[in-house]
Amino acid sequence: MIRKIINSFIVFYSPKYPEIISYMLQASEYRGLNYLVWFWKTTDFSKVEYRKKLEKTKVAIIIYNFLTLAILIQILIGIYLIYLNIVGRLTGGWAFGLGIIVLYPVLWSQIIVIPVFFARILIINPYQKRLSKKAKKIFADHKGIKIAVAGSYGKTSLKEFLFTVLGSQFNVAMTPKNKNVALSHAQFALGLNNKEDILIVEFGEGEPGDIKRFSEIFKPDSGIITGLSPVHQDKYKSVDAAAKDLFTLEKYVAGNKLFVNNQSKYIKKYIKKSYSCFNEDGIADYRVKKVSSTEKGISFDLVSKKETLKIKSKLLGRHQIGPLCLVAYLGLDFGMEKEDIQKAILKIEPYEHRMQAYTLNGATIIDDSYNGNIEGLRAGLELLRELKFRKKIYVTPGLVDQGSLTKEIHQEIGHLIAGANPDQVVLINNSVTHYIQEGLTKAGFKNDLVIEKDPLFYYNNLADFVAKGDLVLIQNDWTDNYL
Amino acid sequence: MENVAVIFGGVSTEHDISIITAISSIIRPLQLLKKYKIIPVYISKQGIWYSDPKLAKIETFQADDLEDNLSKLKPISLEFGKYLKIIKSGVIGGRKKYINIDLVFPAMHGTNGEDGSLSGLLNFGSVPVVGCSLRASVLAMDKVIAKEIAVANKIDVADYIDSSKSEIEENLEGVLSKINKNLTFPLFVKPAHLGSSIGISRVRDQKELINGLEVASHYDDRVLVEEEIPDLIEVTLPIIGNQHPIPALLERPLSKVEDFFDFDTKYMRGGKKGKGQKGSQGYSEIPAKIDKKLYQDAISLALRIYKIFGLSGISRVDMLINQKLSKVYFNEINPLPGGLYSHNFNQAGISNVELVEKLIFYAKERYNYQKNITSTFSTNYLKQF
Repeated sequence: MIRKIINSFIVFYSPKYPEIISYMLQASEYRGLNYLVWFWKTTDFSKVEYRKKLEKTKVAIIIYNFLTLAILIQILIGIYLIYLNIVGRLTGGWAFGLGIIVLYPVLWSQIIVIPVFFARILIINPYQKRLSKKAKKIFADHKGIKIAVAGSYGKTSLKEFLFTVLGSQFNVAMTPKNKNVALSHAQFALGLNNKEDILIVEFGEGEPGDIKRFSEIFKPDSGIITGLSPVHQDKYKSVDAAAKDLFTLEKYVAGNKLFVNNQSKYIKKYIKKSYSCFNEDGIADYRVKKVSSTEKGISFDLVSKKETLKIKSKLLGRHQIGPLCLVAYLGLDFGMEKEDIQKAILKIEPYEHRMQAYTLNGATIIDDSYNGNIEGLRAGLELLRELKFRKKIYVTPGLVDQGSLTKEIHQEIGHLIAGANPDQVVLINNSVTHYIQEGLTKAGFKNDLVIEKDPLFYYNNLADFVAKGDLVLIQNDWTDNYL
Repeated sequence: MENVAVIFGGVSTEHDISIITAISSIIRPLQLLKKYKIIPVYISKQGIWYSDPKLAKIETFQADDLEDNLSKLKPISLEFGKYLKIIKSGVIGGRKKYINIDLVFPAMHGTNGEDGSLSGLLNFGSVPVVGCSLRASVLAMDKVIAKEIAVANKIDVADYIDSSKSEIEENLEGVLSKINKNLTFPLFVKPAHLGSSIGISRVRDQKELINGLEVASHYDDRVLVEEEIPDLIEVTLPIIGNQHPIPALLERPLSKVEDFFDFDTKYMRGGKKGKGQKGSQGYSEIPAKIDKKLYQDAISLALRIYKIFGLSGISRVDMLINQKLSKVYFNEINPLPGGLYSHNFNQAGISNVELVEKLIFYAKERYNYQKNITSTFSTNYLKQF
């Protein structure tokens, strides 16, 4: 602890201090409260910029320069007061001066929230509103079919799948990467030329009311809900609240044009008969048969009375069957030939850091570090259980943003891990580790358990820990702003 | 936490390879294990011994000012007795600091290290030492003696002639005549005690032979000249263990005979066959795609050699196969293969971390085994004298 205090003290009074504060603000997405919570929970400021560094965006540079200048002025004022004391023009000036100099780190770490807050209110929000208004008009005038993709998980992947398959025959545009908030929707709209056949927009729910807001602007013709699980619990407080938000999509699309993945246990109670549901068993009157799931991918037959689609994919895990069924079904609905759909599905590549397999020193590594929900975790562990390898290693830091469900969810994770029975479990140490350990113990996990304090140390040296015949599944990420 | 001394560098043509073996294949995995305190012990090209945490980093040796940095360190010495100790002198006061060593992990290649000299020295230290014993190292590192032992055990070897450096210098004609009489070109000329293919040449005529003899005798006081095996497949097998050796996978270098397993190909990043990959991973076939029976014959031969020579810890046995005759020949032994041949063990399912851990286990196993062998004998000779 003393070491951490000394480290923080050194950072506070080093030239790196403005960069640390700017980075903390940036990583907190300039949300004052999130930033302040992180600031006051941090015990070692030398480790703040550990996994990532300050990205030099315009906003970040302005904040960094502002802080540097303000701190410099404060130090100069302090020195001036001490000087006045020395030349006998200000009694007690040294104490004031020294106080001003010593206090600058605490002072500016708090004051900076005020200009950031006002900048959000006075500049960013009005700018976003103006942009959203423009986007709303562009979307309204657009002739293409508009598909909204929402859900607690799997949105970006499903959007990419749709883009690959429908894009093989139609002019399709989609929001890039995992850009899924109003501002990115607006920027996407500005880039359209009204010649697109299909528009796919990802709805990233961050707080209650988001889905309604996005739907008002985009006005989707059909919607997809990829799943429901406890995420962003800091804002939604309950799974019910998140569900309520997601299913507002229903108000904007006709019932049978709302496609819902009803695989997860959380979503079942919100399903209505009018929805078009999809899951590992199939979609509409198409049934899934002859499933094969390996570390190389999945394959299955999608069978209806009139036809059979032979689906082969490089995607990993049975949880991908449902989304692939939907993609195939929509392909047929858009008039594609089944052979073309099969070919296009084969071209789908795993999205970066999402069940992405690669080889390291002969070992198979499945990188699912961008997964951030228990359903994805369940799917990954199911695959781990299913695959045959000489040695199986499971690595996770646990899930962030689980709010009041943190303990319950992480104990369940412990149970799930024990159920997959890996030979070694590596838990990246943080505030939820002991809950996972409790779950593991209760479930009777007896194999090797490693608690790793330094995630970068582990990830950077993974090659030395593995050999041919090993399978390593890495799930979830724990960024600097989560302790 | 046990103190593990990793000794590397040395007065050897394979000095630099030793640094790579020590840092990337031994120190790094040992650090990852978090079970041992690693004491890097570096022997400079001048034979001076140093120990400092900085010597565990490759950057130290890549720096242009290595010599300057070394000159700032105080040389260390060793104390033998009940315990092996490193003695470091304080930089200013000169006060001596003693570090007890619990286990030694040698990472020396070639002469003055791998050849048994280090193992012999450490015999005085009463500590487990990773790798082969003094006797096994001496026998294995001498290519001529190794061949003689193989022949005595009815193991096939390529026809060979050996000659001393002085013989080559003083009676080259005689040496050439002996070679011409007994062997057929093309031939390989090798220094008898070096590894990593240093100083080896493939010669096709008299002129090249003279040159090859000159090169080999430049590096060693004994030179081996052997016939090339026709229809050759070159294979190598790294093995770990003591009484019950465990083979890794039979590896086949994918170079042509003309570009035989030489230093550049083996060790240099992006060597001739390296295709930009590090070390020997980029150019060899693991496991060797050869006839099943030949594969098994080679494995059996290598394990036999391992036992005959009393190898322990880790070694690599190189073999030559005549495809047409389906015959496996013993070629040579490497008692401490460069980089521990971890790329091969990785393919055999042993990670770098597991490999060093296993080697430490074998060192302790051998040490305990040796401890139970009586090495003193009470007599009354002195009283009778």
